[in-house]
Amino acid sequence: MAALAFPRHIHTAPKPSFFNNKPKTKLRTRISVQSSLTPPQLGFSDPFVLELAEALEDSLPSPSSSKLSPLEKIRDVSSETLLSTPWPSRKDEPFRFTDTSFIKNSKICPVSRPPPQSLEAPLASPEDTQLLHLAIVDGHIVDSSSNMSGLPDGVYVGSLSNATSESLVKRVGEFVCGFDWGDLFWSINGVGAPDLAVVYVPAGCRVENAVHLRYYSVEASDVGSNKLPVSNPRVFVVVEKGGEVDIVEEFMGGDPNRCYWANPVLEVVVGEGGKVRHSYVQNQSPCAAHIKWTSVRQDAESSYQLVEVSSGGKLSRHNLHVQQLGPDTVTELSTLHLAFNEQTQDLHSRLVLDYPRGSSRQLHKCIVANSQGQAVFDGNVKVNRYAQQTDAGQLTRSLLLEPRATVNVKPNLQIIADDVKCSHGAAISDLEESQLFYFQARGIDLKTARKALVFSFGAEVVSQLPDASVQKKVENQIRELLDPQ
Amino acid sequence: MASAPSLSTAQPPTAVSLRNRCTLPPLPSHRIRPSSSSSSLSSRLPTLRSVPIVSRCAVRAALSTVDRSATPVESGDKKLLLEVKDLTAVVAETGQEILKSVNLAIYEGEVHAVMGKNGSGKSTFAKVLVGHPDYEVTGGSMMYRGENLLDMEPEERSLAGLFMSFQSPVEIPGVSNADFLNMAYNARRRKLNQPELSPIEFWAYVYPKLDLLNMKADFLNRNVNEGFSGGERKRNEILQLAVLGAELSILDEIDSGLDVDALRDVAKAVNGFLTPKNSVLMITHYLRLLEFIEPSYIHVMENGKIVKTGDISIAKTLEKEGFKAISEM
Ligand SMILES: Nc1ncnc2c1ncn2[C@@H]1O[C@H](COP(=O)(O)OP(=O)(O)O)[C@@H](O)[C@H]1O
Ligand SMILES: [Mg+2]
Repeated sequence: MAALAFPRHIHTAPKPSFFNNKPKTKLRTRISVQSSLTPPQLGFSDPFVLELAEALEDSLPSPSSSKLSPLEKIRDVSSETLLSTPWPSRKDEPFRFTDTSFIKNSKICPVSRPPPQSLEAPLASPEDTQLLHLAIVDGHIVDSSSNMSGLPDGVYVGSLSNATSESLVKRVGEFVCGFDWGDLFWSINGVGAPDLAVVYVPAGCRVENAVHLRYYSVEASDVGSNKLPVSNPRVFVVVEKGGEVDIVEEFMGGDPNRCYWANPVLEVVVGEGGKVRHSYVQNQSPCAAHIKWTSVRQDAESSYQLVEVSSGGKLSRHNLHVQQLGPDTVTELSTLHLAFNEQTQDLHSRLVLDYPRGSSRQLHKCIVANSQGQAVFDGNVKVNRYAQQTDAGQLTRSLLLEPRATVNVKPNLQIIADDVKCSHGAAISDLEESQLFYFQARGIDLKTARKALVFSFGAEVVSQLPDASVQKKVENQIRELLDPQ
Repeated sequence: MASAPSLSTAQPPTAVSLRNRCTLPPLPSHRIRPSSSSSSLSSRLPTLRSVPIVSRCAVRAALSTVDRSATPVESGDKKLLLEVKDLTAVVAETGQEILKSVNLAIYEGEVHAVMGKNGSGKSTFAKVLVGHPDYEVTGGSMMYRGENLLDMEPEERSLAGLFMSFQSPVEIPGVSNADFLNMAYNARRRKLNQPELSPIEFWAYVYPKLDLLNMKADFLNRNVNEGFSGGERKRNEILQLAVLGAELSILDEIDSGLDVDALRDVAKAVNGFLTPKNSVLMITHYLRLLEFIEPSYIHVMENGKIVKTGDISIAKTLEKEGFKAISEM
């Protein structure tokens, strides 16, 4: 086991000044690229957090059995850490560019009543309900709205509390508290999660059809009411040795005037040689707060692929942590963030490599098309001492389409091993004038040309969504953003 | 070796709304003078016309004697398509003057060739005609069918029948050739008040055009010019011409980088468009294209000016003695 030593030699890029080597262009768009290290957080009790923790605990029924279930274990550990974690401020490096005061200044009320078991509103289109899907409403698993027919033997998708297999519950219990990189929001989820959904794939089993996780926030307040119902969906995915599964997470907003805060956590453990393809589509209401955690642990020779498209929410943040548990892993992260409204889209990703011959590819793209819109990217790839012959690539490209549209990107590779192949790049631009002209020269007007180019910028990520129907849906969402009715 | 990360690839941002595309002020009308007043070329042109050497068009002799300056738009039953007078243009960013008074007139059904050394301004001339934002017109006029091109956006020029094949067309990653062509073709149909074609209908329309250029169908699925070889790019430009059609095709070095077979395909396609109404302005550095597409006139460009206009015999001199000999003739 490689020691997770704190890096002594950190190769980070020098802090460049504002780029303005193109004198013609007035720098109306705010950009900063910087690389600095996160200072360790000091622990103290924050009265605001304390109050929130109490409200969350009160919203849940007290534990029924004396035996500690995995969910109760999560709650115990989380309340401990929560009490020593203050609400983040802009002074904390991980939140330097992400203002969470919108949440803090709202009247946060944990969703308490479980959703009705039969949801009247059609949650998905009819052809969608044919798919293998689990409906997660305000953090609760709603069986009647789910369809889990035709799963292979030994595969389980559903609430852990309904799982009949003792060994499965035990197995999940072994993993649940094995992640200690979380932040306040991770802990809030741990304290407030009413249920634990589990996707379990036994050894050597290949799940043919993608498992769709459909998240809804039913409890919401009206815009302007200052009330913010919070829900904490939590899902655990265990793929045993040689198992394979596709997970599609979809967060849907519905009515654009609904205010709520979704604070979901997804944990994934991929066993030796296992394969997980993960699609994540975030299309929350433009008034919503959406803070998501994805924690992935990858054993030897496993592969994890993420394709994310996030466009919704007033404040949306994805904390992504991928940790290597053995050598020869493959990790591919492709993410697209769209800020077409007055909103913040944030990706904080960390990939920790401790074993030899890992390969990782990260592509992050964002489009900010609103002068009040902001994209934040902090992408850390850590190639530790024993991670020799690692092949790590990281690329981020941002498109700023309005004056004062903002992007804060902080790509950083920290390399301690000395026999590695690493590359990275960051580019921030407007649409290419020569490309726009090419359209015009063929009779296509500028507006149409711009739309086509913006769409194609995102297509690099969207086209990687493995599920054709999901891809189509996302394409239509983006078309709607480009062409609001 | 551990490579230290660097942010050197980061590029400066450009704010869209700051861009000021194609808003050239209309030129004062007193600039537009009868062509005979300024350059030796334009005064020589009518004379040239009366001595048609390449008689692709039997009627040429009849029209050539008409005094052009008296009837600038009509010339017998031949219409004046493009008339460029004393055109000057600079690089927009630096103000460097590239075109230093260009004069040229093209009538319906004519094939013109512009030749000249590298860097003489041929591509700039072509790009200025279609409204490239890199350049700013500082003087002179460009009239197309009696309309001032400077008053038209690049897409309007295209819809009006002007087509330029780029010497180095750009790659457009993420946009398929089929989608691009379909979009461009539908823009044309909209302009003509015709219903747009769905992707499937368009496929049926475009498919036979591929054959014409000996192109495989998978060409349409590839992204516009992305990873295309030099020859593929040229074929693709001509495919666009075949799909969209044009009254005046400006072909910028359509021959460079092509092997003989490819050149034959391209030339065959171009010759296929030539009708008594359609005209071609081809820019070339080499003589071999002229064996495939016969020009009525050859212009020699040097340092931003057309210094000589003549018939195919100019090409012969060029072949023997190079551009220097021509400009000194
Ligand atoms: N966008 C531009 N920026 C700076 N210089 C340019 C630009 N376009 C053309 N030029 C310069 O103008 C001259 C003519 O170029 P070009 O029109 O491409 O010539 P040709 O096509 O005859 O080879 C060259 O010296 C070239 O460097
Ligand atoms: Mg050229």
